[in-house]
Amino acid sequence: MIHVEDLNFTYLKNDNPTLKGLNFTIERGEVFGFLGPSGAGKSTAQKVLYKILDGYQGSVIIDGKSISDWGKDYFEKIGVGFELPNHYLKLTGKENLELFASFYPNGNHKDLVSLFEMVDLQDAMDKPVEAYSKGMKMRLNFIRSIQHNPDILFFDEPTSGLDPVNAHKIKQHILDLKSQGKTIFVTTHSMETADSICDRVSFLVDGKIQATDSPSNLKNNYGKEVVSVELTDGTTKEFSLHGLGENVGFTSFLNQGDVKRIQTLEATLEEVFIAITGQSLQV
Amino acid sequence: MNKIVKLAFADFKIIFRDPSLRSFIFLPILLFALMVWAVPALVDRYDFLIPYQPLFLVIAVIENTQMFCFISTMVLIDEKETDVAKVYGVVPLTKTEYMFSRFLIPYLFTLLLNVIMFTVQPLFDISFGTGVLISSLAALVVPVYVLAINSLVQNRMQGMVYVKAFNLVVLAPIAAFFVPGKMQHLFGVLPTHWIFKSVENASLGLPNFITLGIGFVFFSFLIWFTSRRFIKRHFV
Repeated sequence: MIHVEDLNFTYLKNDNPTLKGLNFTIERGEVFGFLGPSGAGKSTAQKVLYKILDGYQGSVIIDGKSISDWGKDYFEKIGVGFELPNHYLKLTGKENLELFASFYPNGNHKDLVSLFEMVDLQDAMDKPVEAYSKGMKMRLNFIRSIQHNPDILFFDEPTSGLDPVNAHKIKQHILDLKSQGKTIFVTTHSMETADSICDRVSFLVDGKIQATDSPSNLKNNYGKEVVSVELTDGTTKEFSLHGLGENVGFTSFLNQGDVKRIQTLEATLEEVFIAITGQSLQV
Repeated sequence: MNKIVKLAFADFKIIFRDPSLRSFIFLPILLFALMVWAVPALVDRYDFLIPYQPLFLVIAVIENTQMFCFISTMVLIDEKETDVAKVYGVVPLTKTEYMFSRFLIPYLFTLLLNVIMFTVQPLFDISFGTGVLISSLAALVVPVYVLAINSLVQNRMQGMVYVKAFNLVVLAPIAAFFVPGKMQHLFGVLPTHWIFKSVENASLGLPNFITLGIGFVFFSFLIWFTSRRFIKRHFV
């Protein structure tokens, strides 16, 4: 669906390129994520893909056609959820959505009320957006991006500014969109978001992709396949997960005292990120 | 066409819900009242004002354009400040369609205001056709002014500063009225000079095809130039 080869981009006022030779492919129906700290080039890569930035070098093929060959019909095919809320504050939520819906004459528009219900904004749909909280505005961003039923979705930090409950709901909605066959490109610096919704992630640092794989493979490759047992007297031992049921040492250690904690030592995505890139995500 | 109407309708909603913009809608009413009643009364009372009657008309015509210059400038700055402009970069609307939809209604409204102004003003006998031609030229101030300021600023504060500076540039060629002979065309580097001269010629019963022609060419170039800059900056 999306094929990017040797993508380079330099902003006019910068001497150094922001994107340095990116290569990646996103299959139809896949949720693909760019995970990286602020300033890594995640949003810039997305901007090239949704045609806000031109003057890039390399090849960007969308649905078999170079992005430069797509006309304005490309924007009927894509939906963009921006990182920050951007709405007319003096208009109501419903008026904002209706206005932007009018630009998609060929769109298979979703019902407005059900969209507002989907993100629990039905009671606020007739209120001016200036009365919305940041989280409400972000949810409005989300439904605006999907209201014309696009095939490809770009979400820039989709859970930013949301409370845990609403962040969970948005992630669930993204997974629902994936199950409908939508191709989804997410950028985030939230390890938890990437881990829970992405089929594959790329670690992006300083404009370069450092690794690409599924979150589970990345964690398996960098984590320890062991279980750690800690007794109340402070004694701790690690046992391999392989053949753990038949491991006599494990069962006898459990009988040595009261067990305080048992945990697997699987790496988190953030630990994998740090191990690969040498950088923290929360920059 | 549906897109243009929807966007124009949304703009009017924004204007009427913003107290700082709403008041500007009533500016033309004040202007018409001044031109229809106050100015003739003053000219009747004070003879020394008689030579300045074309100047009153020039000011009325350019002030009619200022309403939408300010309103549209603020609407677009607000759009930039709230990042709504970015959304227009990812909808199936070409940049030309976007600008057409943003300026068609303000242009037509401004044109209409000045056509009415030429019709109702009691100072000079100006033909309807001449009034329409001059009004068509004067209304081009709106897109040039709005595009130029929005190519330069990022927020309302900067916008207010540039509005003051641009108002000075728009009004500066009035000084040509007090400059004798061909020297007054030194103000021709400022585009509104050609509107002012067209109004003055029309009020004096002189031909104004040359001044109108220069004006249309000048403003066409400025619209082309400012729109290029605007497109590069507004949607990113």
